[in-house]
Amino acid sequence: MKVKGGRGGTVRLRLDETEASLLRNLIAEMQMLLEADIPDGDAVKQRLFPRAYEDPANEETFRDLTSGDLENAKLAALREVRDSIGERGSVEVEIGPDDVGSWLRLLTDLRLAIGVRLDVTEETMSAEIDPDDPNAGALSVLHWLGWVQGSILERIEG
Amino acid sequence: MTETITAPQRIEVPTDDEVTEPDRPWLVIVWNDPINLMSYVTYVFQKLFGYSLQKATKLMLDVHHKGKAVVSSGSKEKAELDCYRLHAYGLWATITKSE
Repeated sequence: MKVKGGRGGTVRLRLDETEASLLRNLIAEMQMLLEADIPDGDAVKQRLFPRAYEDPANEETFRDLTSGDLENAKLAALREVRDSIGERGSVEVEIGPDDVGSWLRLLTDLRLAIGVRLDVTEETMSAEIDPDDPNAGALSVLHWLGWVQGSILERIEG
Repeated sequence: MTETITAPQRIEVPTDDEVTEPDRPWLVIVWNDPINLMSYVTYVFQKLFGYSLQKATKLMLDVHHKGKAVVSSGSKEKAELDCYRLHAYGLWATITKSE
């Protein structure tokens, strides 16, 4: 993975074939999760679509008003990134000021889904990954996505 | 046994059928989560609310160290829009009425 500053406030992101294929798989899984009819009790769904109000009546109105839009916004960001990285091979994309929001939001959703499934804490997130941990693979993916996101943020802020 | 005598208390009887809500603002609160990057949370506060880097960083640190922070306030409609936008960026935000 390589992130560089491009022309006109853009960010150039390069992913090798393995990284690109990992990202494509994660995107496909997220798309299924967003499009599937998942019960409201699911922890990942609750984190991606959090409650706004404790009060049930206020919450119901808020949800009726926003949950469709929220799902569409998540899917729109996902499709934008998916279409920009192509279907196979390594990736070299120039992320402009208009697309950077979609990238950051998608990377966040991917990280939230993995982090919630693993039930991570501040301690797990700052600790070294134990190679014998059955979640070691998923944790490395979570950290890798964070590294990609952090590198993009550094470029747009620098 | 002593008999307790309670002083008569004034009971507030609403004079109108309509109970008017006091004009207290609604608060949007962002809660700490172990997953989102600190740099990302700061970025979102700047991007959504136009806060300076300094103010956004302070709010992010409040969320991180105190567990939560009020990031915006106002009418119910404004609070709902802000909360929705925070949810779209993956932050854990809720709305509550100010005390």
